Order: sequence, then structure tokens, then C-alpha cells
Amino acid sequence: MPVPVWRPYILLATALACLVIVLFPFYWIIITSILPTEILLSRNPPLLPPLGEVTFAAYFEVFARKPLLIWISNSMLITAGTLAITISTGAMAGYSLSRFRTKAQQAMGFGLLASKMLPGSLIIIPFFILFSKAGLIESKLGVILANSATAVPFATWLLKGFFDAIPRELEQAAMIDGCNEWQAFRHIVLPLAAPGLAAASAYIAIVTWADLVFARTLNSKPENWVVTVGLQSFTGEYLVEWGALMAASAVSLLPMLVLFLLLEPFLVKGSTQGSLAN
Amino acid sequence: MGARRQTYIAYGLLAPAFLLVAGLIVYPLYMVLETSLRVGRAPNVARLDRLPLGFGNYWRALTDDVVWHSAGVTVVYAVGTIAPAFLIGLLLALLLNRDFPGRRWLRSLMLLPWAVPGVVAAIAFLWMFDSSYGVVNAQLRKVGLATTDIAWFVHGDTALFAVILPTIWKCFPFFALTLLAALQSVPQTLYEAARVDGASPFQIFRNVTWPGIRGAAALAIVLQGLWVVKDFDLVFATTGGGPSRATQTLSLLVYEEAFQFFRMGQAAAIGVLMLILCACLAYLAMRWGRKDFH
Repeated sequence: MPVPVWRPYILLATALACLVIVLFPFYWIIITSILPTEILLSRNPPLLPPLGEVTFAAYFEVFARKPLLIWISNSMLITAGTLAITISTGAMAGYSLSRFRTKAQQAMGFGLLASKMLPGSLIIIPFFILFSKAGLIESKLGVILANSATAVPFATWLLKGFFDAIPRELEQAAMIDGCNEWQAFRHIVLPLAAPGLAAASAYIAIVTWADLVFARTLNSKPENWVVTVGLQSFTGEYLVEWGALMAASAVSLLPMLVLFLLLEPFLVKGSTQGSLAN
Repeated sequence: MGARRQTYIAYGLLAPAFLLVAGLIVYPLYMVLETSLRVGRAPNVARLDRLPLGFGNYWRALTDDVVWHSAGVTVVYAVGTIAPAFLIGLLLALLLNRDFPGRRWLRSLMLLPWAVPGVVAAIAFLWMFDSSYGVVNAQLRKVGLATTDIAWFVHGDTALFAVILPTIWKCFPFFALTLLAALQSVPQTLYEAARVDGASPFQIFRNVTWPGIRGAAALAIVLQGLWVVKDFDLVFATTGGGPSRATQTLSLLVYEEAFQFFRMGQAAAIGVLMLILCACLAYLAMRWGRKDFH
């Protein structure tokens, strides 16, 4: 049965129609952020922006009036710290689970299961008690540790899957050539697992960047807020300035969307391997 | 290279991750259990361990109408999100599994909502569904479907529905992603054989496609179901659980008990009950997924 020539274009048209609906909230964030308030607060907002009215005033305003840069840099520091802890420990543990039979396999399996089950709003209770005693309230380290809790088992299992796909013979050959175990891991295995490291990093960065419950509970001073907490504080105001809020939302979205589009192929691979770990 | 040395390396590499899991998951979990047995209020958490031990919190939780109401809200929220999100994800996966130009880019863009922080998704939908200036009400008015301004997030009858929408939006890409991966692993020869036998598209889906992706579907439903039940950001940033508890899921109730009323013990007890429920449901769903799965 020959496939009609137009079939792929019907499919493409359907997909594009779906895409318009799926991406509409992004479009509306951008549109709202570049239109003046008089147009925004109309009973009949135009679906296509009147090009003559486009202004970037909301962006300047939100940077001037809110400590958005501080919030973003807090988010970045916390994300970077979480990545440093989870990727380094996760890579070592994942490699160990992939290459050696130990009794720790089940314990790490439990860690993954628990991390999938534990609600953030519950695990924050012991974190709050522990960190209060340890003086980690109003500190970035506390939020980093809280975010690392669920990310460590995730990174471990995801990376184990990638290490499993790398043949052992490569390290054995390297060790015959005079490398020790660490050098073989560092120079042979890790570079080959780069897609896995990218997938785990992207996933953990996206999840950490999105965190609200840990950051807002452990850090209450506005100068310690992360960007999600800052954005959320807008909605509690008496008069919400939608233009400014959407400008701030767009700025906070940008890094994660870029990361996602760059690393999406690795994430697809990772999501299938990560789920096999269960 | 001795076996002893191997063991040292194996455990040495595991040690840091192991310590983190022990300190940040296992011990906190133990603390949750212990806290759930502390009866009373403790505005100062350092004095929590002076409260008497007992099962009072569990008793109160199980006899409290608010807890049962929240459990009901959680179930509606989870089912109301997962069912449509799964369907959308499945249809998109079937579409993206076909061959057409630009498929690779369309897939990436279609999955974009997954990368959006819950707070940002919440804010975008709050604005789109604003009663006076929201684009949704404006369009509904234009086509004559709405005569009044619907206060989606403010009105008790519509609030839960309104919260479910951004949750579906954030949730369906995961289904599309995992189901697409599963679809691509179904052998093409099975489809060809079915077509030779003259099977209709629906029969092919039922007898070839669905058995091939059923295991992945069950796993995805469990993982996303847990994610929705655990969700805090979307509900908190849209309605905060209101109006008058209409959208207060268990996850929000736990947080409110702990950090608004400082009833840490009560909060932990509700959380433990929630965990037990999640574990049972996840177990049942996984068994269903494995049934006649070869």
C-alpha cells in the first residue's frame, strides 16, 4: 500500500496545531512582558501584539524595583552547589554499582524509591529541625543539602545505567597499559559517560531551579530568596503588576529552556535508562 | 590487584553518596516517624523532643474531617491530572512516532513545558485565567461561551479545575517522552504481520502497540502520579489551598500544619499516612503493569 505523498504534511500540520496550544503560555508570558499596562488591563487583550506599542519597559522596571539579580544569582549558586555535590558523588557511586557487586545495591535502591515517594512538604520538616539546630537556616548550604537529598540517588542510578553501557574491557586495557583504577575511571570511563553526566546535570538543574518549598522555608529573608520564591511573592501583592511579573518570569525561564533544548536528546536517553533502575 | 583492594575501591566510591542518603533521607525519615509521635505544639523546634510521645496525632488525623477532605481533594487532583495528561501524552507520542519533516524539533519544543518551574507555570495560568483581564475569559466572552467573568482560581467550584490545568500542562511531556521511547522499541515486524493479516488500525493498537507499551505506561503513571500527589509548587503558587480549602491537597495540609500552626507532630503523622497510601497505590499499579507483560 503506497503512502500518499501528502501524508507527512497532514501529520506536520497536526503537530504544528498541537504545538501552538502547548506553547501558548510561553507566548502569553512574552506578549504580556512587552506590552504597556493600558493594553494589558483591557477587557479584550489582543492575541497578536500591536507592534507599535511594544516596549521593554517592564524588564527595566522589574530589575530596578526588585532584587531580581540577587534572586537569580542565589538560584544559580544553589543550583551549581547541588550539581557539584550530586554529580560527583553520584558518578562515583554509580560507577561502583555498575562495576562491583556489593551489599550496598539494595540500600541505594531504597534511597531512590524513598526519593520518589517523599513529598518535599514532608521532608522539609526534619530538614527544618536539623538545620535550625545546625545553624543552616538563612544559608545557601542548607538549601543545597535539601535539594541534594533526592538528587543523589537519582544521579547514582541514572549514571549507573550509562556506565553499564561502557565495556569493562576499556578500563582493563588501560590498566594493562599502566593506569591505576582512578586514572582509568577519570580518563577513560568518565569522558565516555559524558552524555550521562549531561543528562543528569540537566535534569537536576531543572528540578533544583524550580524548587520552592525548601528555599522558602529555610530562607525567609528577601536577600536570601531564590528566583521562584521571589516570583511567588509578587502574587501576594495587593495589585499584581502583570507586565513586570511576566518579564521576571521570562528572565527566570530562559536559562532552563536553553539548557533543555540543548540537552533534550540526552534527557530522552536518560529518562528511559533512569526508569529502568526501578 | 587483590579482591580486598577491589572491595575497598567499591565501598570507597560508594561512601560519599551513601553518607548523603543516610544523612539526608534515612535519618530525616526516622525523624519524621519520631516527630509524628510527639503530641502537641512546638513553636520552637529545638524543644520538640520535650513533648510527650503517643499515637494521639494519628488518632486525630484519622478522625479529622479536614484530613479526609484533603485526601479527597488529592485524589481528584491526581486522577484529574493524570488521566488527561496520559491521554494527551499518548496521542502526542503516537503522532511523533510517525515520520514527517521537522519531527525532531517539534518533539523538543513540545516537551518544553516540562522544564518550566511550577511557580512560573502557576503564575502564567493565574494571569491567563484572570477573571477580568485574562485572555481565556476574553476569548470565551468573544465566542459567547461566558456571559460573566469567571473567577477560575477564586471560586470554590472552579478552583480545583483551574489548578489541574497547569498541572496537566507540566505533566504531559513526561508521558509523551516515555511512551515515545516505548513505542520505538516495539518491533516493526509485528506491525507488518498485523497488516498482512488485515487488522484495522484500532486492532493493531489494541493487540500490538498497547501490549508493547503497557509496562512503560504503568511505570510512567506511577511516577507521575506520585509527582502530582507530592506537588506543592503549583497548588501553593496558584491558590495556596484556598478558597476555604477547596484545593488543599494533603501535601499542602502537611505544610500548613507544620509551618503555619507549628503542629510538627500532627503534620508528620498526616505525612506518614500519606506515604503509606502512596506506597500501596504504587505497588498495586506496578503489579497491574507487570500482569501478562512478557
